[in-house]
Amino acid sequence: MSERARNLVYIALIVALAATVAVLIAGNPTEEDRVARLGGSIMCPVCQGEAIADSPSDMARDMMDLIEERVAQGATDRQIIDELTAAYGQNILLDPPVSGPTLVLWLAPAGALLAGVGVIAWWRRHPGAPEGSPSAPSSRTRTAVGALILIGSLAAVLVAVTSYLQERDDTTSGLADVQVDDLDEVSNETLEAVIAANQEHPQISGMRLALADRYREEGDYRAAFPHYFAVVESETSAAPEKVAALAGLAWITWDGNGELDTALGLLDRALEIQPGSVPVRFLEGRILHCAGRSDQSERVLEDLLAEPTLPSDWEDAVTSELAAVEAREACA
Amino acid sequence: MKNGIRWVGYGLALAAVAFSVMLATRFGRDPGLVESPLIGKPAPGFELPTLDGGGPVSLADLRGQIVVVNFFASWCLECRLEHADLVASSDNFGPSGVRFVQINYQERPQDSSAWLDEAGRSQHTLYLHDPGSRTAIAYGVFGIPETFFIDPDGTVVGKIIGEADALTIGATIDAIRHGETPGQTVTGNTQQRPDS
Repeated sequence: MSERARNLVYIALIVALAATVAVLIAGNPTEEDRVARLGGSIMCPVCQGEAIADSPSDMARDMMDLIEERVAQGATDRQIIDELTAAYGQNILLDPPVSGPTLVLWLAPAGALLAGVGVIAWWRRHPGAPEGSPSAPSSRTRTAVGALILIGSLAAVLVAVTSYLQERDDTTSGLADVQVDDLDEVSNETLEAVIAANQEHPQISGMRLALADRYREEGDYRAAFPHYFAVVESETSAAPEKVAALAGLAWITWDGNGELDTALGLLDRALEIQPGSVPVRFLEGRILHCAGRSDQSERVLEDLLAEPTLPSDWEDAVTSELAAVEAREACA
Repeated sequence: MKNGIRWVGYGLALAAVAFSVMLATRFGRDPGLVESPLIGKPAPGFELPTLDGGGPVSLADLRGQIVVVNFFASWCLECRLEHADLVASSDNFGPSGVRFVQINYQERPQDSSAWLDEAGRSQHTLYLHDPGSRTAIAYGVFGIPETFFIDPDGTVVGKIIGEADALTIGATIDAIRHGETPGQTVTGNTQQRPDS
């Protein structure tokens, strides 16, 4: 056998082996494989660049359940993908489609390769016109174009790296070891990242509460609301944490949205958990004062002041608030 | 000729740089703000129980009316802020062939219902529960509140992302009554469940 024939036989054997392995790997995927593969190709709509198969969010789980159900019903991959893209658009796909405007993304590497091969072939056949000849661009033009490309490339890299680092800062779980006593030194953004990465942690409610209080003090009620809500709803929150969160919710519901009945209802819930709580009753008196219900406010504050066990620091605050109510002053 | 090919090379290199910059600057954009692919398409059907376990209510039964489908939850502040306007709009437009449907999102029906007991309901609005978020997924909900407008023929013709105020709701309904397709309006933020 000639050397050429032997080489052909080797190549044929390698191709056959590769084809066998490919068939073994890809062949007969189970329903679970299909669900996992489809879940890995769909972006979680409520997360940042994460597949629904990898996301712990409730929405992602619901979407995985839907895919599982469709697979069990005998739907093809294309039908399932079409169903989801009909609702969310092509952006829901982690891999852009090989059609339309995103076709260029798939063709770009091959195009670049071909262009590179073409350029090398052309340079080999045409070993450059001598400098200064009429057909060659002047060295100044070359330098200008080269500088432009370099600056553009650096700018692109800089923007990409900045964006990448910002995303990592938002989602990193490497901050999980930030201690609660460090809170004063931690930015709101970092606290958000820590909370996002430790949602299942039994002591996360304390951190949520601190962040919500901080947002409330800054007047950012929209940001405070979901954290207070999560503390109230969490089964792992301690009773004082729930009481504090209900009080915070009551204040922003009243001050932000003018919902007096809802605010008072939330305070009632807090008092059910911690009957007689001084801060909650004080807040009730204050909200009633601000709502112009001076008589009710007076009653609440007078009852509070009559408590023999009222701590002295609260006594001053209650006395001052009561004086303002009695003088029919607007709440501060 | 040689010069031409060389300039084509430079052009390609510049295009590659521009493409990289475009890709890089797209990082971090909110995917929820893209135009809903449902606008101009038939509204996804649903058949859902009411929050108190009654029903089911089917979208097909509402054909012939303008239907306003709002996704909400009690944990969403924007939903609370828009609630009074939704109730007022439903009371206002309900008697004249506009049906408001509020579907809860990622929340137990009893929690949504308890909040509505406090915040108030419109007698013209249907309050529905969406088990497994199937309807939210069919409508491509990214966060709440999101409000879809369906014309009497059953086509999605409008969407409000964020807090829906009475003025925007009224203007959208008026446009639909004039046979227009109002399209998508972004009025503010949407929220995710705090533990999602």
